[in-house]
Amino acid sequence: MLRRTVLGALASLAALAADSSFSAAARARTPAPPNAEAYIIWPPDGAVISGGKLWVRMGLRNMGICPKGVDLPNVGHHHLLVDADLPPLDQEIPSDRNHLHYGAGETDARLELPPGKHTLQLLMGDYNHIPHDPPVYSKKITITVK
Amino acid sequence: MKKRSADALALARSLLVAAALATAIAAPCAFAGPTPAPANAYAYIGYPNDGQTLPAGKPFKVWFGLRFMGVAPRGVKFPNTGHHHLLIDVDLPPMDQEIPSDRNHLHYGAGETETMLELPPGKHTIQLLMGDDKHIPHNPPVYSKKITIYVK
Repeated sequence: MLRRTVLGALASLAALAADSSFSAAARARTPAPPNAEAYIIWPPDGAVISGGKLWVRMGLRNMGICPKGVDLPNVGHHHLLVDADLPPLDQEIPSDRNHLHYGAGETDARLELPPGKHTLQLLMGDYNHIPHDPPVYSKKITITVK
Repeated sequence: MKKRSADALALARSLLVAAALATAIAAPCAFAGPTPAPANAYAYIGYPNDGQTLPAGKPFKVWFGLRFMGVAPRGVKFPNTGHHHLLIDVDLPPMDQEIPSDRNHLHYGAGETETMLELPPGKHTIQLLMGDDKHIPHNPPVYSKKITIYVK
């Protein structure tokens, strides 16, 4: 009984330690140059695309591109948010159909979207896919697929 | 006896042909770097446009386009990546050597995907060439069309 309590206490301590180290890691964000800026080169805001297949050209000023997993100063990789708002900026960017990762250092993204209105926004992630400090993201643009 | 020497001659001849073929096949490899690039990868200049006239005395932006391949800073070995080099008023350098670093060969080893450029008045050419982690072009080399711009 006593042993179980001690074990339980140890387990919760371990859980606490793991939890605090996680939040510490989440808080230790990679710095970005204050003048760094991401922007969508193409398509322009308000563009009408026929067919829904397009290349999005991802622009970045005053900062460089580096694939995921490589920790170097003043670099990151692109994430394209499709029909989504900015995710929490102190956590790993989700990876799903609304949050596309370009962890191989891509700067052009091939998209295929269904007809209708869509929003696109770029968000840079560091080597661990966590946004920088300050976060580097583009204006959110709206396009229409016909 | 005569037939045997004819055979020997034929053998020697076919060996020579084989050697020549081998050289021909091996030769292109000597003109590319050791890092492979995807066969469909290509670089392009997104801006300015070929034939465009730009105002003198004012820096202009050059957009580095790259498809089916990624960007990585110098010194980073990651499959299917490289970094941009901008060639100004020069032809392509040797494809099996480190890209020169001078005012005609600008390196973007921090993973940049655009730059501001200012050129003296006149006719100029610009062209992109990808380099691997050691600034050596890939195999096959990945470079853009060479475009001509006018600064007035």
